[in-house]
Amino acid sequence: MSNCHCRNPLKPYPATIVKIIDETPDVKTFQMVFDDPSVMESFRQKPGQVAQLSVFGVGEATISITSSPTRKGILEFSVKKVGMLTGALHRLEPGSKVGIRGPYGNHFPYEVMKGKDLLFIGGGIGLAPLRALIDFVLAEENRGDYGKVDIIYGARSMDDLCFKYDILDRWPKMPGTTVYTTIDRAEPGWEGHVGFVPAYLEEINPSPENKYAITCGPPIMIKFVLQALEKMGFSDDQVVTTLELKMKCGIGKCGRCNIGSKYVCLDGPVFYLSQLKQLPPEF
Amino acid sequence: MKAYTITRDNLGAWLDALARDYTLIAPVREEETVSLFKPVSGFAEINLGYTNSTVSPKGWLFPQTEEMFFFSTGDGQITLADAQTPGPAVLFGLRPCDIKGILVLDPVFNGAYQDCYYQKRRQNTILVGLSCTRVERHCFCTSMGGGPTDGGGADLLLTEMDGGYGLEALTSRGEELIHRYQDYFIPDRDNRVTAAREELGKKLAGQFTRAVDTTGVKEFLDENFELPYWGELARRCLGCGICTYICPTCHCFDIFDQSPDGESGVRSRCWDSCMFSHFTRMAGGHNPRPTKKERVRNRFLHKLKYHRDRYNLDGCVGCGRCVTRCPVNIDIRQIIADLQEVARHE
Ligand SMILES: Cc1cc2nc3c(=O)[nH]c(=O)nc-3n(C[C@H](O)[C@H](O)[C@H](O)COP(=O)(O)OP(=O)(O)OC[C@H]3O[C@@H](n4cnc5c(N)ncnc54)[C@H](O)[C@@H]3O)c2cc1C
Ligand code: SF4
Ligand code: SF4
Ligand code: FES
Repeated sequence: MSNCHCRNPLKPYPATIVKIIDETPDVKTFQMVFDDPSVMESFRQKPGQVAQLSVFGVGEATISITSSPTRKGILEFSVKKVGMLTGALHRLEPGSKVGIRGPYGNHFPYEVMKGKDLLFIGGGIGLAPLRALIDFVLAEENRGDYGKVDIIYGARSMDDLCFKYDILDRWPKMPGTTVYTTIDRAEPGWEGHVGFVPAYLEEINPSPENKYAITCGPPIMIKFVLQALEKMGFSDDQVVTTLELKMKCGIGKCGRCNIGSKYVCLDGPVFYLSQLKQLPPEF
Repeated sequence: MKAYTITRDNLGAWLDALARDYTLIAPVREEETVSLFKPVSGFAEINLGYTNSTVSPKGWLFPQTEEMFFFSTGDGQITLADAQTPGPAVLFGLRPCDIKGILVLDPVFNGAYQDCYYQKRRQNTILVGLSCTRVERHCFCTSMGGGPTDGGGADLLLTEMDGGYGLEALTSRGEELIHRYQDYFIPDRDNRVTAAREELGKKLAGQFTRAVDTTGVKEFLDENFELPYWGELARRCLGCGICTYICPTCHCFDIFDQSPDGESGVRSRCWDSCMFSHFTRMAGGHNPRPTKKERVRNRFLHKLKYHRDRYNLDGCVGCGRCVTRCPVNIDIRQIIADLQEVARHE
């Protein structure tokens, strides 16, 4: 047996929070930088991958890397406050020390998607992993590789929209890009669309031709979005989604995130709908 | 590879010497009915007469609770310090099924992400097997491709024989260990040791109270995820998790931090069990395996299908521990037989 000279994958790298953006009442985006510049340099995530974030003394949680790899020198994570670790993260301030290990998991099939139009459908915090791919595709060096980009995004209320600066301001100005935003119920001050994401998707009724649909959001939204896409004629190989399952190690050891013989931390979180249909219904 | 004989007296002396030079982990009788693997200071503490330890010996390579690293914050910096890993060790007296159990764990802790904790212990540990001398009521290693005198995977295999013990070196590491202590051993020039072991194996093969046929079970499970059978089984299961703690092949763990002062502390991992409801319960309350039915199914599919899919190895070695210890007599041998039966009627 060969000696183990690897770097311990269960040990995080120290990092510092450099900026915190309040997205919604319970979501914050954290910009982080590794304390060791050589780690920052060698950390090469792909859109769709996750990391394990540590608050030392509290623990770890699996969080999607929401910044595109085309953005160098910084990592962004958008975290919804739901429990111990995410609660502790929300109490931190710029300058606080955290730990990051990763990147883990597979990634969106951006190579396969070259030459195609892309339809993004996100709900709530589910936009976080999609955003890594959106910004990757819209980055100057990659934009020519992809066709039209449509983004459908919804949240419960205006307050619950994440990345407002992107969806209301930055992305709509990008060439070949259309952003459709919706909230569940009408509100004073909202002039955009009102209604659930799947219904809005059916209204927009995008053609499946030469297109990939990439979706992420709460399970119930994903369920109806998948049904709507199927109705519009998207094949199971044109639809990509991410799965969320409880994770601990992130590297296929702790045995926690299996769906059948697959581990979400290694074989996912990104799956084609055709693959999803092969898995036992345990998510 | 070479074989040797060793007298009873010399075996004791050799083990005393091993305990001086290495961390020696061996089966110890704790109470009348419980036997465990623990570090020992010499031969006097070792129980060679056990058949199957209550808890499997995997805990030396993958401890029940293991410190991973220490952290401390000071001057706005985070410092991480590795926990110490043990030095050279000899894991002595492993029954063949438990050696196989280690071979089942190896690929999990190997792979693209090497688990440094397991790997370091594994590389630093010499495995000495011990052929069985009797078959317990719940043993079924032969059904899972093993056998009571199959030492495959160990560095050395010890077998009781007339007038003492035989010791076969199965790897160069085992050979080196013998070489280091050569005064205790007599080279076996006429193959007596191997012959005696094979004879013993034949004798024991006839003593299994129950054999099961696993043919086709995995293929049946490939096609059938939903079976009313899992619900029936789950009604009996208490969800106590004992089956997973004592199993030589279960490897699930949890990770947790302890920091009494909020500034420094330790991150550790400890065994966990898929039989517990919190195992897959997510923040917000969603649980993909909400009832015992899904959890029981997951455990048996893991043993009989998932591990094979991923690593091409059965996830069960037939040690029979979960059969012996389950408070409600859930018996994996019966499950395999029942699945055969269900498959016939599908
Ligand atoms: C692939 C993937 C990507 C994710 N991306 C994001 C993201 O970008 N932003 C975000 O806010 N959340 C994301 N999550 C969910 C996030 O991991 C959980 O909300 C978080 O772990 C809850 O931790 P907690 O300690 O605050 O909650 P607690 O309820 O205190 O959880 C205790 C432990 O349970 C585990 N756990 C609980 N819920 C989940 C869960 N849903 N997924 C995984 N592990 C869980 C964690 O190990 C956690 O340490 C993602 C989850 C997965 C699996
Ligand atoms: S030991 Fe028996 S009762 Fe306990 S969890 Fe395992 S199968 Fe269920
Ligand atoms: S499943 Fe039961 S019989 Fe099989 S290896 Fe584990 S404890 Fe032993
Ligand atoms: S998170 Fe540990 S196996 Fe996937």
